Amino acid sequence: MEDMQEIIEDFLVEAGELVEQMDQDLVELENNPEDLELLNSIFRVAHTVKGSSSFLNFDVLTELTHHMEDVLNKARRDELKITPEIMDIVLKSVDMMKELLEAIKNDGNDTDCGVDIEDICQKLQMAANGKELSSSNSIETEEPNQEIVDSSNETNEEEFDIDTSAVEDEDYSHLSDEEVEAEIQRLLQEKQEEKEQKKRTKKSPIKKEENKKEIVKSEQKSSASKKETPAKKSPNKASTLEQTIRVEVKRLDHLMNLIGELVLGKNRLLKIYDDVEERYDGEKFLEELNNVVSSVSMVTTDLQIAVMKTRMLPVSKVFNKFPRLVRDLSRELNKDIDLIMSGEETELDKSIVEEIGDPIVHMIRNSCDHGIEDAKTRVENGKDPKGRVYLKAYNEGNQIVIEIKDDGAGMDPEFLKNKAIEKGVITPDEAQSMSDKEAYGIIFKPGFSTAAKVTGVSGRGVGMDVVKTNIENLNGVIDIDSKLGEGTTFKLRIPLTLAIMQALLVSAQEEYFAIPLSSVLETVRISKNEIYTIGGKNVLKLRDEVLSLVRLSDLFDVEKVFDSSDHIYVVIIGLAENKLGLVVDGLVGQEEIVIKSMGEYLKGIEGIAGATIRGDGRVTLITDVAAMMKLASQVDAVISEEEQTKEVVKNSPSDYHILIVDDSRTDRAIMKRALKPLGITISEATNGVEALNIIKSGDKDFDAILVDIEMPRMDGYTLASEIRKYSKYKYLPLLAITSRTSKSDRLRGIEVGMTEYITKPYSEDYLMDIVSKNIKLPQGALS
Amino acid sequence: MSEQLQEVLKKQKEQLNSSLLDKDKKEEEIVQLVGFMVGREEYAVPILSIQEIIKPIDYTRVPQTPPYVLGVFNLRGNVLPLVDLRIKFNAPNTEQSEDMRYIVIKDKENVAGFVIDQITEAIRLNEKRIENPPETLKNSNSAISGIGKRENSIITILKVDELLKRDF
Repeated sequence: MEDMQEIIEDFLVEAGELVEQMDQDLVELENNPEDLELLNSIFRVAHTVKGSSSFLNFDVLTELTHHMEDVLNKARRDELKITPEIMDIVLKSVDMMKELLEAIKNDGNDTDCGVDIEDICQKLQMAANGKELSSSNSIETEEPNQEIVDSSNETNEEEFDIDTSAVEDEDYSHLSDEEVEAEIQRLLQEKQEEKEQKKRTKKSPIKKEENKKEIVKSEQKSSASKKETPAKKSPNKASTLEQTIRVEVKRLDHLMNLIGELVLGKNRLLKIYDDVEERYDGEKFLEELNNVVSSVSMVTTDLQIAVMKTRMLPVSKVFNKFPRLVRDLSRELNKDIDLIMSGEETELDKSIVEEIGDPIVHMIRNSCDHGIEDAKTRVENGKDPKGRVYLKAYNEGNQIVIEIKDDGAGMDPEFLKNKAIEKGVITPDEAQSMSDKEAYGIIFKPGFSTAAKVTGVSGRGVGMDVVKTNIENLNGVIDIDSKLGEGTTFKLRIPLTLAIMQALLVSAQEEYFAIPLSSVLETVRISKNEIYTIGGKNVLKLRDEVLSLVRLSDLFDVEKVFDSSDHIYVVIIGLAENKLGLVVDGLVGQEEIVIKSMGEYLKGIEGIAGATIRGDGRVTLITDVAAMMKLASQVDAVISEEEQTKEVVKNSPSDYHILIVDDSRTDRAIMKRALKPLGITISEATNGVEALNIIKSGDKDFDAILVDIEMPRMDGYTLASEIRKYSKYKYLPLLAITSRTSKSDRLRGIEVGMTEYITKPYSEDYLMDIVSKNIKLPQGALS
Repeated sequence: MSEQLQEVLKKQKEQLNSSLLDKDKKEEEIVQLVGFMVGREEYAVPILSIQEIIKPIDYTRVPQTPPYVLGVFNLRGNVLPLVDLRIKFNAPNTEQSEDMRYIVIKDKENVAGFVIDQITEAIRLNEKRIENPPETLKNSNSAISGIGKRENSIITILKVDELLKRDF
């Protein structure tokens, strides 16, 4: 029984491909009704499916394909002209075939699904008889047809095979147990051989079909003509096919995971090499190490690309069904529309190919229904009555772009805005501040449809919303461009693969986050006074666009350790048609990251898409750009305001706060005494580590730090360089107080970022002077 | 296929099954646990649910989670959640001590690290000495599977699947 299941599965895969092919061929045929080769190939598909399904006892499917075959056979022999009406019926029956195949896949049979083929069979029969009145019944015509075809076309022969298979079933009952056993063994073996053969070359479906037949038939004497058939058939098909093997997707996924680990290892190696290089600069072994590291890194990258490629499928897998779609649509909508496709060979990761089908269907429907005007309007506007929809795929950097363009009416931003206000999708205020591009984006809002009436095609206002969600799930961006009266262009930008991606690493306070690079549009460094506040939200005017700004640390409640400086970095992220400016504290760099799940326990955290392991072994979270955009609207950011509250605090000398770091109690006491007249607040720390902890804790805000150089645990130089790591303390005065007077010591002090270098012994006045100068103590306070 | 052969196979299978069952029965009487301290209380989980026990390592905070979820950490290339049981069980947060450990606990699907104050010992406990949690605790804290009685102490036995279940 398991073998049977396997055969059925094979059948389903094969039939699925065949039907897909048939769909395409039929639409093609409508344009070239004279193409006999095309007709033949369509006929063969119907026939093959019929043959296999009858062998597997799928009676409904057999019946349906049988009738289709009738019509096609007549057309093939020029007894019937394919009119659009007949084409409609044939296409409809192809759809039914698909439905039946789906049912077989799910239920294992084609009878329970409730697909009613009677009606369509009748229509097919009528179509078949329409031109050939001599035969009253298509079933009757079948027999003679077969005989005629038999000599010319090999495939029809199977008809006989099927008959024999029925006879055979009876035969089995006469056989003894042992004989049955032997027979099964033999059949299994043959099946095995067939499989091996299949692996070697991807054979034409028909040939495989024949082989299956042969298994059953083998009891009988195999006819000579039968043997010839595959030989005759295969050369013309096999020559166009590449050598392929079928591999389970699961295995490829596993391979991909392993590569992911390797990429992480590579990143780690690069990082270690950097560290080593710094430490052993000029050593000879470095060169050798460099060679190894770079070759490992190169091979890893190549390997990754190679494995990625094994998972790639051409987009034609998805595109193939669109000619049919547009053909049906144009008939349904009574418009004359041409679909012009290019770049079908562009390749994409399998998982993505599976996901982009639906969105593109919606967008094409949208273009046909809303974009293209009816023929009359087109002529009035001086356009070709035939509308055109272009579907184009091409690579651009690490992304694939799918462009859907129509030469229709284009979109009117004002009309969209008014409509959206009417439907309550946006408020009039929002409409006011909307740019044209943003207005186009309205069409992706749930509940919005511009179609005057709801047709079967569109107008329910669901489709485009789904498009957006699907594209966002793939980390894609939608770009809309439209010119009133000339047409609309949608560009979908989608990353090539989902498992490994390029990311921009940014820091928010002391934490790091990875932003998918495909969603990053640009990064800018701005000064704080370029930020405006509109309606309680921060916005940034960038060229001719106004972007809302949100602080990454506000989105993710990052613990505040330090203030950002006057200049801030903004990462502009874009998803679908939305844009957002993300304020970060630092840009770390671009890195290739491998997405790891955080398990059930932490699944679905808003704003976080997953985690990755960085070169240093630490975990960095990957942001979910779509969710961040949603979160951003809930955050009331106050980027520019907080600065002002800071300024007002200091109105008496005691509001100024300095930290003295020295291991000697006496020295600390001397300094304190010297600074006492200033009236400022003084804290103490006995070594670098302690000082750093005090500073990091953020409990106190220091205006200056006096640092001794020689201290236990952490010396003054190290402390200074640690402090300078925080952007908040970039300008914090650090005053070195030391008895080291040599030039190189001073130089070192400047290197690590000391503001002043005071040598012992010093006069009290001198120290006071320097400190008050550095903390900008108002002169009046010195009394 | 001959019927005799099938008969033989069937018998073999039955035998295998029954022997497995016997084994289970014997082991059911003694439960092996690993005990650990959280705050001042001693808890335990079945020894087989523990993947490993490691010294504290760096972790990364994850936003939008309750305070007891510290974040995620990297265990040899796997990203695992880290839960601080001391916060979760409202145990006084003692100073970071040398004995602090992460125990990595797994069930069929999930695995996560838990911060505890100290590992005590591996415990063999007769099943008869384990009682159901008192009624008052049953509702408020479903993570307790039983109370184990030992010579001079009692120990709270935790439900692994409850620990690993997301509850926020």
